[in-house]
Amino acid sequence: MQDLKKLDQPLSSFVQVFDQPIKGEGKSPLAGSAIAIKDNICIKGKTITCASKILAGHKAVYNATVIDKLKAAGLVIVGTTNLDEFAFGSSTENSCYGPTKNPWDLTRVPGGSSGGSAAAVAARLVPFALGSDTGGSIRQPAAFCGVVGFKPTYGRVSRYGLIAFGSSLDQIGPLTTNFSDCAELLNIISGHDPKDSTSAFLETPDFTKSLKVPVKEIKVGLPKEYFSQGLDAQVKEAISSTADILKKKKVIFKEISLPHSRYAVATYYIIASSEASSNLQRFDGVRYGLRAVTKSLADLYARTRQQGFGLEAKRRIFLGTYSLSSGYYDAYYLKALKVRRLIKSDFDKAFEEVDAVLTPTSPTVAFKLGERVKDPLSMYLSDVYTIPANLSGLPAVSFPCGFDKQGLPIGAQLISRAFDEETLIKLGSAFEESTDFHKQIPVFKEK
Amino acid sequence: MSEFETVIGLEVHVQLKTKSKIFCGCSVDSQSRPNTNICPVCCGYPGVLPVFNFQAFKLATRVCLAFNCKINPSIYFERKNYFYPDLPKNYQISQYQRPLGEKGSLKLLSGKPIGINRVHLEEDAGKLIHKDNYSLVDYNRTGTPLLEIVSEAEINSSQEAFEYLTYLKLTLQYIGISDCDMEKGSLRCDANISLRAKGSPKLGVKVEIKNMNSFKGVKAALEYEIKRQAVVLEKGEKVIQETRLWDQELSKTTPMRSKEKAHDYRYFPEPDLLDFSLPPGLVAEEKSSLGELPLDKRKRLLESYSLGEKETDVLIALRELSDFFETAVKRYAHPKEVLNWLIGPFLEQVNNLEGGFSAVRISAENFVKIVRYFSENKLNNLAAKKVLSLALETDQDVDEIINSHQLTQMSDQGELEKFIEEALSDNPKAVEEYLSGKSQAMQFLVGQVMKKTKGKANPKLAREMLERRLER
Repeated sequence: MQDLKKLDQPLSSFVQVFDQPIKGEGKSPLAGSAIAIKDNICIKGKTITCASKILAGHKAVYNATVIDKLKAAGLVIVGTTNLDEFAFGSSTENSCYGPTKNPWDLTRVPGGSSGGSAAAVAARLVPFALGSDTGGSIRQPAAFCGVVGFKPTYGRVSRYGLIAFGSSLDQIGPLTTNFSDCAELLNIISGHDPKDSTSAFLETPDFTKSLKVPVKEIKVGLPKEYFSQGLDAQVKEAISSTADILKKKKVIFKEISLPHSRYAVATYYIIASSEASSNLQRFDGVRYGLRAVTKSLADLYARTRQQGFGLEAKRRIFLGTYSLSSGYYDAYYLKALKVRRLIKSDFDKAFEEVDAVLTPTSPTVAFKLGERVKDPLSMYLSDVYTIPANLSGLPAVSFPCGFDKQGLPIGAQLISRAFDEETLIKLGSAFEESTDFHKQIPVFKEK
Repeated sequence: MSEFETVIGLEVHVQLKTKSKIFCGCSVDSQSRPNTNICPVCCGYPGVLPVFNFQAFKLATRVCLAFNCKINPSIYFERKNYFYPDLPKNYQISQYQRPLGEKGSLKLLSGKPIGINRVHLEEDAGKLIHKDNYSLVDYNRTGTPLLEIVSEAEINSSQEAFEYLTYLKLTLQYIGISDCDMEKGSLRCDANISLRAKGSPKLGVKVEIKNMNSFKGVKAALEYEIKRQAVVLEKGEKVIQETRLWDQELSKTTPMRSKEKAHDYRYFPEPDLLDFSLPPGLVAEEKSSLGELPLDKRKRLLESYSLGEKETDVLIALRELSDFFETAVKRYAHPKEVLNWLIGPFLEQVNNLEGGFSAVRISAENFVKIVRYFSENKLNNLAAKKVLSLALETDQDVDEIINSHQLTQMSDQGELEKFIEEALSDNPKAVEEYLSGKSQAMQFLVGQVMKKTKGKANPKLAREMLERRLER
């Protein structure tokens, strides 16, 4: 464990490396494997802060359902990883612990909000990590760090014990170096949970059965709106070659249209922030976490929250509170719900013709630390391609599909029908068979 | 003052009698030691999720049926956002846009229907205990299923309000969904009241009254408000729209510190719970478990047993009592006698039991024996009451009790003779007084006989025998 701490020093991907790792008792193909957990998933008895000062010193009083499942499968939980405060961000810079660095270039961000998990897996500090994805928080850092990041269908994995950001969007998922590991981990964490009313009443298929099977005649759509302005030319080219490689395996490609996706970022920031503003009300200094010393109740609330929340958290609480306020509700929150339905129905229509959709994960490769901190809008736009899958509840994965001229990894995203994670694993593992992008290991240096 | 018409609307919160809380598995027993029936879910710990208790939904549906509400076939929960320490998540899971039940009604005795605007489900908050310079929070109550029943503003007097509440509570108790114990807080009531010129179609400015601890308190508070508002209006001034608190001790309402602006609760659909559809068959099932409602029962009892209204009201005020009455009358067809014993000694003894009616074990069959033996002079009043008290919580056979305690009334002249003679010879002074015309002395002599027979003598017979003996 001392080694792990030392190896992580240049990255700061972990916020805690446990002196005594938590060893699960059960058996599974992954028994004995090390896993890191994003610091917004509860592990009983362990400090959990969501990288926020407001939860300073808070120890989880129960296990998240996924933690129980990992233990039952015999995995070894070695520590918790860094994130943007409450998963608000795309760079892991909004953390009370300071930023995590991208193992491919220590001057760049690892993406976010699951940047710690992505960086730790990319740097081969651990073979497995869990992240959470509300608008791209697993996939975008996976793309920036060159690993496989999978967001399951909303309802596939229990959210019980995941500290909520946007309850109707959040989903826990795996970060791994390849699809085989991804499928194994998905097998373990999926399934209905009576403690989560939004988890689906479905049998979990054996996802490993979708590995390396023929992909002939699987139909994949290329949404024209996802390849227009703002997309980096090298990223665009990498996605084209991804399609070419799959075409050689007789995957059928066709252009499709998802016209309402252009409203996804705006829609998302209303809905996710509205839910977050309500979810974060419980952090008030009364029961746990930070408590400001004050004389009155109103002061206790105000000061605790003023001192405890970071800038981005405050920005989203304001945005969400405003969107839900009487007089603005119809124009913002309600309108956003309607647009959300339109975005989803675009996908429904597309899936009448195709089995999956291929897009870039993010418009650019990893950007420089500090580059976008002062410009929230440019930061928000790095999730432009990942957000629609959350708004539609669909499964989506980012996998390494190339490198730019500077040697920074590029991620491709596949999205499929609800509860059809199998198609994603089939296509992704088929691509992996013909390429070795996923086998590249970063050497920590500054570029 | 008669030129004003009073308009009242009542908002009742009632805790549903489920075993566990509405969104977690904790017991709903809020009387336990503070913060013992709590878990991460009802305490709003980070990462927890609510799971809806179906039993609460069933009970709430039953309430809607009892008041003939239109039941929405699909419901969803919303979050009502506000900061308060008794609300661990700082939002309450409630219903706003689409309540479970709408447009129901409750009929008063006069036949006047009072509309019920909405019936919705929500979670109860915790309790604050204020100390000198700090406050404590007890979260035992947090998450108890709560039903809000809102009347239309169709109540026109404090008496009507009292009656509405009485029958509302009785109905809820009859259908078994709540204890409706205001002292324990399982039923709470707030009132909205305004006055307007008689005949005016426009409603006056309303005042909300809170902090009433009993139905009598509600009535008194409303009466106070009616007078207060009338005085304001008669002076040509305007009533201020505000919330006022009823002060039981001072018998007056006082303004609550005025809120600077109206609360914006920012309601929005609770994303942690899915929409919930009425399962097929649930309405039929709950309808069949409704049973007879109090006013129907009142009418039937009045007609079937030709009882007085007052006695009937006492009977129906406790469903178990009126049920017991009917079972008893089936076994002993003297409704008046049964009634007198039930609402007399029986009720008196039941009220002294720790658990009230729930502690009663005596069967109707055993009970009517006492009534019959009393009427047949086999037991005198004192003995009958004693037998009742011994059988009430045990259902020990009445005959057995009478035998083992030798409580049978001495109604045999031969048996009594000896005691009569003793009483006379032991008390020559009383005899002399009686013979000289002081009739009170007879009472004393009867008392002596009762004493010697350890209360078993039939006092009427003893008196007759004494009188006859002294005539000679």
